[in-house]
Amino acid sequence: MWAVRNTGELRRLACRARRLVLLMAAYDPGIHLGSSLSVLEILTVLYGTGRVKFLDGSAAKNWLILSKGHAVHAIYALAAISGIVSIDELRETGSLGSVLQNHPELGVNWIDVATSGSLGQGISIGVGIALGLKRRGSNGRVYVVVGDGELDEGQTYEALATAAHYRLGNFIPIIDYNRVQLDGHVDSVRSKGDLQRILSGMGYTVHAVDGHNVEQLAEVLDEVDSSDALNAVIAYTRRGKGVPQIEDTPVQRIPRDLALQLVSQVTCDE
Amino acid sequence: MSELVALSPREALGRALVDAGEADRDVVVVTADVGDATRARYFGERFPDRYFNVGISEQNMVGVATGLALAGYKPYAVAFSMFLMRAWEQIRNSPCRLGIPVRLVGTHSGFSDAYDGASHQSLEDLALMRVLPGMVVIAPSDSCETYEAVLQTVDSRAPVYIRVGRELHLPTSCTLGMKFEVGRGYVVRDGSDVAIISTGIMLHFALEAGRILEERGIDALVAHFPTVQPLDTVLVERIARRTGAIVTVEEHSVRGGLGSAIAETLTQAYPVPMAIMGTKTLGRSAKSPMELLEYYGLTAENIAHRAEELVKTARS
Repeated sequence: MWAVRNTGELRRLACRARRLVLLMAAYDPGIHLGSSLSVLEILTVLYGTGRVKFLDGSAAKNWLILSKGHAVHAIYALAAISGIVSIDELRETGSLGSVLQNHPELGVNWIDVATSGSLGQGISIGVGIALGLKRRGSNGRVYVVVGDGELDEGQTYEALATAAHYRLGNFIPIIDYNRVQLDGHVDSVRSKGDLQRILSGMGYTVHAVDGHNVEQLAEVLDEVDSSDALNAVIAYTRRGKGVPQIEDTPVQRIPRDLALQLVSQVTCDE
Repeated sequence: MSELVALSPREALGRALVDAGEADRDVVVVTADVGDATRARYFGERFPDRYFNVGISEQNMVGVATGLALAGYKPYAVAFSMFLMRAWEQIRNSPCRLGIPVRLVGTHSGFSDAYDGASHQSLEDLALMRVLPGMVVIAPSDSCETYEAVLQTVDSRAPVYIRVGRELHLPTSCTLGMKFEVGRGYVVRDGSDVAIISTGIMLHFALEAGRILEERGIDALVAHFPTVQPLDTVLVERIARRTGAIVTVEEHSVRGGLGSAIAETLTQAYPVPMAIMGTKTLGRSAKSPMELLEYYGLTAENIAHRAEELVKTARS
């Protein structure tokens, strides 16, 4: 698996993943394209730097929970680049016989907690894993990627408060703040308040980054990983990043022709 | 076992959790600000570093327990039955979909929390848990079965729900020396005219109804099914063939609980006339659980009466 430290390489990895997400959108209009594109660099840096690995069975491994499971196609794309699944399998995503369901299921044993999709539950599960790792004396860390809209679910705050209570330095919530949820922009649906102050008020050291800047993301994760304090990352992103037709809108789907056209236009300096 | 006779169901739960923790270092307990009321705190006092109180957040508690199971532990998540049910969707989408053993213990079940009234009286939990594929659902009758249900699920490979009462204790399985096993039903008294099948605390009243019927010349079989899921269907069918008429009784809604489970089985295997006794209410406050059981008609006399009627119908 990867252990990429070079910014150019990470950028190229993200580019290739973006192209594969678009390819899947061409074959299955049902995927959550906009969400998969906002979270793409966050996941690219987590996997690309080797923090989390596909099929890591070691006791000291780091865990990744994509609580906003609808964006799983970003992970499927990275899995294909790493060789875990084939491009042909990507084309079958969302079909009855495919293990690449449109919200992750148990068939994908290379995803740690495959059964996300119901919003608000991933953080609690991450807190449980982090408590368990801490008790075992493991150095493993737990990264939980959460949507901004997902914060509407009260359970997310129940879980964040529990992590703060137990001072879980091995638990790292990363909020994909793409400013959009199903019914529109987050501020029009239900304001998330001053999230940085809310989290810091709960006891978190808050790190705000540009969630599409792989260099910034890698730096912040290095900083967070060298700390045993309570940390949270807010990654400001754009929903639908890279597809101007849907960027910063709640639209998740694009026509097949457009998707194929975009696939052919994306070049990643290979 | 003898000292359990003197304990209430929740006291037996607290004792069982400690003993499970002694037997297996991977047992952990998660609770939601009800460590004292559920007696889960006994575990916390003995094993403070394996005891996690997540505050009043049952949905979060289910997720935290799921995470602990993923990290290799054997979690018991203990809360009031009613408020554990608000996490139904979390239970479905986290441990059930992952197919991992999280052991959920819901206390203060049924009418056992008489004082607090409808808001606290869980009369739907068996139905809600039984509908989940792969979920093991246990309603112990007394402290002995409660203790065994906890100890026998330490190594469960499936998610489990155990329904436990508060203080009301009718130690029938203890005094009869019944040997609880997960998944088994029990014929407690043989008979051939009609069967009375109980789960949970209704075992006590079912047996009493059997004695009343004997005085009236009716030979009633009394059976007890502490495990509602997986149901001992072999025994259910054998009882149906032997008696030809069945009254089920539970401290739970007449919809979706033991009666439904047995009816679903027999409709497809060996249909017989049935009466399903239970509740059709959301409950209310009273001075004792016994007062509520009587108010809502869950008495030995009523069970006997329904059985008598069923025998008449079956014979006519």
